[in-house]
Amino acid sequence: MKIMVCIKQVPHQDARLDVRGDGTWIQDENIKFEINPYDQNALEAALQLKDAGGGEVVVASIGPERVTQSLRTALGMGADRAIHVKDAAADGSDALGVAKLLAALAKAESPDLIFTGFMSDDGNIAAVGPMLATLLGIPHTTTAVSLKKENGTVQVERELEGGALEVVDLKTPCLVTTQTGMNQVRYASLKGIMAAKKKPIDVKTVADLGLAGQVGAGAAKVRIEKLYTPPKGQGAEIVSGSADEVAGKLVGKIKELGLL
Amino acid sequence: MGSILLVAEIQKGKLREASLELVSVARKIGEATGREVKSLVVGQGVSGIAEELAKKGGGEVFLADDAALANYSVDAYHAAAKAAIAAGSPEIVLLSNTPTGWDLAPRLAAALDAAFVSDCFDVEVAGAELVFLRRFFNGKLDARLRPVGLPIVATMQPGATAAFSGSADGKVTALAVSVGEGGTRFVETKVAEAKGVDLTKAEVIVSGGRSLGGPEKFQEVIKPLADALGGAMGASRPVVDAGWLPHEYQVGSSGQIVAPKLYIACGISGAIQHLVGMKGSNFVIAINKDPDAPIFEVANLGVVGDLFEVVPKLTEAVKAAKG
Ligand SMILES: Cc1cc2nc3c(=O)[nH]c(=O)nc-3n(C[C@H](O)[C@H](O)[C@H](O)COP(=O)(O)OP(=O)(O)OC[C@H]3O[C@@H](n4cnc5c(N)ncnc54)[C@H](O)[C@@H]3O)c2cc1C
Repeated sequence: MKIMVCIKQVPHQDARLDVRGDGTWIQDENIKFEINPYDQNALEAALQLKDAGGGEVVVASIGPERVTQSLRTALGMGADRAIHVKDAAADGSDALGVAKLLAALAKAESPDLIFTGFMSDDGNIAAVGPMLATLLGIPHTTTAVSLKKENGTVQVERELEGGALEVVDLKTPCLVTTQTGMNQVRYASLKGIMAAKKKPIDVKTVADLGLAGQVGAGAAKVRIEKLYTPPKGQGAEIVSGSADEVAGKLVGKIKELGLL
Repeated sequence: MGSILLVAEIQKGKLREASLELVSVARKIGEATGREVKSLVVGQGVSGIAEELAKKGGGEVFLADDAALANYSVDAYHAAAKAAIAAGSPEIVLLSNTPTGWDLAPRLAAALDAAFVSDCFDVEVAGAELVFLRRFFNGKLDARLRPVGLPIVATMQPGATAAFSGSADGKVTALAVSVGEGGTRFVETKVAEAKGVDLTKAEVIVSGGRSLGGPEKFQEVIKPLADALGGAMGASRPVVDAGWLPHEYQVGSSGQIVAPKLYIACGISGAIQHLVGMKGSNFVIAINKDPDAPIFEVANLGVVGDLFEVVPKLTEAVKAAKG
């Protein structure tokens, strides 16, 4: 079984976010990046299937040079090879543009199963997976929290709201987007990291994929006009002082509420 | 000019509130741009809901009523949506940002080669152009998004808009849908059973987030305060995902919806999915070291500081006050 996992490199969850001068994205120099948390679960799900039944795990990512680091991490965790679409012509692609790039990769690879994260931690758009499946004409489901493989199908439990789950069968080839908490993500072992150095990262351009002019900022159907810190609304009354003073004030309030 | 089509949802046999919110959004865009509002209702034995929506502002309501549509599957709903699009020629398609929306909306957008915006909390109409407002980075930043060209597929955040409460007479048009085989098949839905803790009944909840860093910190820092206040412990999702606490402790859209007299959020950023679960709290205290954390927008009292310093002091002070 061949599995393709699409991973995105996103600002680390604890990175400080400042909007850059033109107001359309964050300043991404000098901040730490990581593999999108949802995609970490996607990769883990793929590696677990490989551990159980063999096959090949191919990771794919789009982005600048720094993305190589995330691909190496994925290879260190156990992925077999990586594809990196590294081309400024892909910059500023919207979700559909990203899906088109990944669809071109998937067509060349013909995987039995494709994983993407449910959404990315930066844009929170939650569109690339289903769009990719649609472009490929294959079934998909979203927010997987567990997955079982049978002959020619996968059975997925997908998360709904309020703790409810929906069980759905998908014919392979298919695409599944993963929800956080689906599994406990492994670390890259030292041995894995050493081995990863010898694993191939295939670099592609937009033109290689036959998509010149069809992706990137110019082709995007959605433009970020402005990114900004949310305006302060009502907001909390901020209690300040030393930890002791603050504790005293909070207790006063809790008493007032009749809870002490 | 093309119309606006909203895809309604049925939840527990009733028209979902979020669908009436879509009616508000659709009518707002419709009034400003001269587009007609149309709706789609999908299911089996749901003609009553279609009639209801037609009276509640849904305009011409396409009814896809078929045994093959009894349960949700993305293929079946996609087939119904395609039929409604063929019948109603929409330029703008609206869905709710719900499990159905997550699955169906991007599929529709890709199939239509449409501009796609998701989880929007508002839309502005500037002449013929639409600008959608939504959050990025889990609520830490907001964005104005401008779709380029038509069609547009958009999902709206449930609860962000008031439901349309007027009445307006529409009509129901039955729609024939050929569902076909499809690659996805609904098997069943499962409802998580509540085990030991029932946060929905707690008067005081002290919640901790990812920043606690491990299960032992919940026992050392969060639990003593919860105990001192005679309350329960709660958590944000990453805590449960990491296995630090079982699922029944999770507050939020995919956890418990709680309504305590006092909710103390410790090291919780205030992502919308968490806020959804706790917004019924009577009084909220937030402790977070980031002064810009979204949680401070919904809290009544806020402490900008390190929870590992503040919470133990508060626990001591509560114990002292009880004598
Ligand atoms: C479909 C879906 C469903 C979801 N359902 C839920 C749900 O039911 N419940 C839920 O909670 N989330 C849910 N989420 C996840 C949600 O989007 C957020 O990721 C999550 O709520 C963030 O948890 P957090 O606040 O603990 O972590 P973070 O967002 O990482 O925030 C940590 C916070 O701790 C602060 N902090 C760090 N160290 C300290 C310290 N020493 N002292 C004080 N403050 C500190 C930081 O400033 C930061 O604000 C869902 C997401 C999706 C997509």
